[in-house]
Amino acid sequence: MSDPTTLDQLLAADAADVGCDDTFEVLDRHVEAELAGEDASRRYPGAALHLRNCPACREDHAGLHAAAGEE
Amino acid sequence: MVRRARYLPSPMDAVSRSWVDGLRTLGRQHDLTVARLRALLLRAACREVWRRRATLHVAGAELDDLAHQAADDAVVAILAKLDGFRGDSRFTTWAYKFVMLEVSTKIGRHFARASPARIDEVDWEQIPDRLTDLPEQRVERRELLATLRRAVDEELSERQRRVFVAVALNEVPMDALAHELGSNRNAIYKTLFDARLKLKASLAAAGHALEGSRS
Repeated sequence: MSDPTTLDQLLAADAADVGCDDTFEVLDRHVEAELAGEDASRRYPGAALHLRNCPACREDHAGLHAAAGEE
Repeated sequence: MVRRARYLPSPMDAVSRSWVDGLRTLGRQHDLTVARLRALLLRAACREVWRRRATLHVAGAELDDLAHQAADDAVVAILAKLDGFRGDSRFTTWAYKFVMLEVSTKIGRHFARASPARIDEVDWEQIPDRLTDLPEQRVERRELLATLRRAVDEELSERQRRVFVAVALNEVPMDALAHELGSNRNAIYKTLFDARLKLKASLAAAGHALEGSRS
């Protein structure tokens, strides 16, 4: 273990979380909404929740946000 | 103001349309567009492996090789799924998400080969140093961690225990574990999700309710 976290984050599980596949499906739209200054978590609440709890998809989201932001 | 009905597809922007047309056509135009797409994805993959380099323990030619593999496989995935692109985002944003996924997959495979031990072993002594919201009272803290450890050992199935220990405690990339277990990211996450629910229930039953979590 390296980065500090909370027990709450370690055990984060929410029924509204849509999972990796469905988040990937909307990830491009989610990122463009963010880049446009919109509240992406209101348009894609289940995906936004998933991105908080899934380290792998969160990493992909960060990379996509950086790449699309440079366009 | 004219409102479009929700079921109508979004209009595709001209640049995205030109990408899609170029990839759908045959012959030289197709080959040129594929080459342009690969170059675009390779640049994104190189930037992405560089962004993640701190966690990779890879450098130089191996890092470049990883980026090239990710770009190649992303092109294949994009061509296979091109009919699924409706123009709801820019084509390049849609394409980039495939290369990000491929970079994660390649990093996962590399991690599984380089650090197999971290997948199964857990050092419980280090956990209190990392968790920032443990009770201040030493007795409460010890009881909570003992309950958590007992629940990990006794309440979880073997697969749930393996996934929780690797991903949540040892920060093994989920794609590395997916590679190791012959699974996929979505299935690993579902197992992690179920493990977290069980552990929360065990902690709650022992009087250690967590904040801010719904299930």
